[in-house]
Amino acid sequence: MTRFKELDPILHSQLRLAIISLLVGAEAAEFTFIREQTGATAGNLSIQITKLKEAGYIEVTKSFRNNYPQTLCNITDLGKEKFTEYVNSLKDYLSPDSKI
Amino acid sequence: MENDEKMMTGEESLKIITEMINKTKVSIRQGSFHLLFWGWLLIVCSLSAWLLANYTSYAHPYFVWFLVIPGSFVSMIYGFVNGRKETVHTYANMLYMWTWIGFLIAATVLFIIQAKSMQTVTPYILLLAGFPTFLSGFIIKFRPLIAGGICFWIIALLVHFAGPSLAPLGTPVAMLIGYLIPGYMLKNKVNHDTV
Repeated sequence: MTRFKELDPILHSQLRLAIISLLVGAEAAEFTFIREQTGATAGNLSIQITKLKEAGYIEVTKSFRNNYPQTLCNITDLGKEKFTEYVNSLKDYLSPDSKI
Repeated sequence: MENDEKMMTGEESLKIITEMINKTKVSIRQGSFHLLFWGWLLIVCSLSAWLLANYTSYAHPYFVWFLVIPGSFVSMIYGFVNGRKETVHTYANMLYMWTWIGFLIAATVLFIIQAKSMQTVTPYILLLAGFPTFLSGFIIKFRPLIAGGICFWIIALLVHFAGPSLAPLGTPVAMLIGYLIPGYMLKNKVNHDTV
């Protein structure tokens, strides 16, 4: 019987996992870009970004561009580490050799 | 993606990760502008220099190459303005941008070093230009650009052996094969794929 590592509850959520996956491939992404790509509502996205930020997985920078507020997100080193751990746990879980 | 706390299976997690990572693949929206702009500018410079040197008594035909200075500003301003409009900055995009900025710096240094012997600068500049072209082709996964980079190196060798009288003609040929053909192909691809 193989014991799986527990999947990180912060990342094991559709929207939060989508946000982190987007940020893994990007140096930085705007709130609007993340909203477009995930199809989430602004309110829900904002809540999930806050949860990721509070966990230290992402950094959020607020600024202004052409007089409009701009929210820029980028993944932290901790976020990258936790994402790698999550993917490794997922690999174990999906491996054809693994048995429960 | 609203039902946030819904339990996901491993397959669903993997699907989300794959989909999202694919959405941050390199954007090539800006790429064709720079290729076409520099392709045409350098063709104008090299042909003008060649015509002035061979068909006029003008003493400094290589002065037309100074057009690359305002050209660099145009390229930088375009890149800066359009870069600000991007809502995502991927690592590949940053690598693409810094590869070309690095080339621009190296080319400027080369022009300064070779200022007194501009007649012999062509093979060196082609040699140098081949590298970012070749690398960019790999970054954006676009084979015509990789082939363009290789052509720069081949033409650099041919120009070296052809001698200074034919050297200025190597640049327009290199620009056509290395920048303009891949540039127009890239532009069509972007319009077609709306990347």
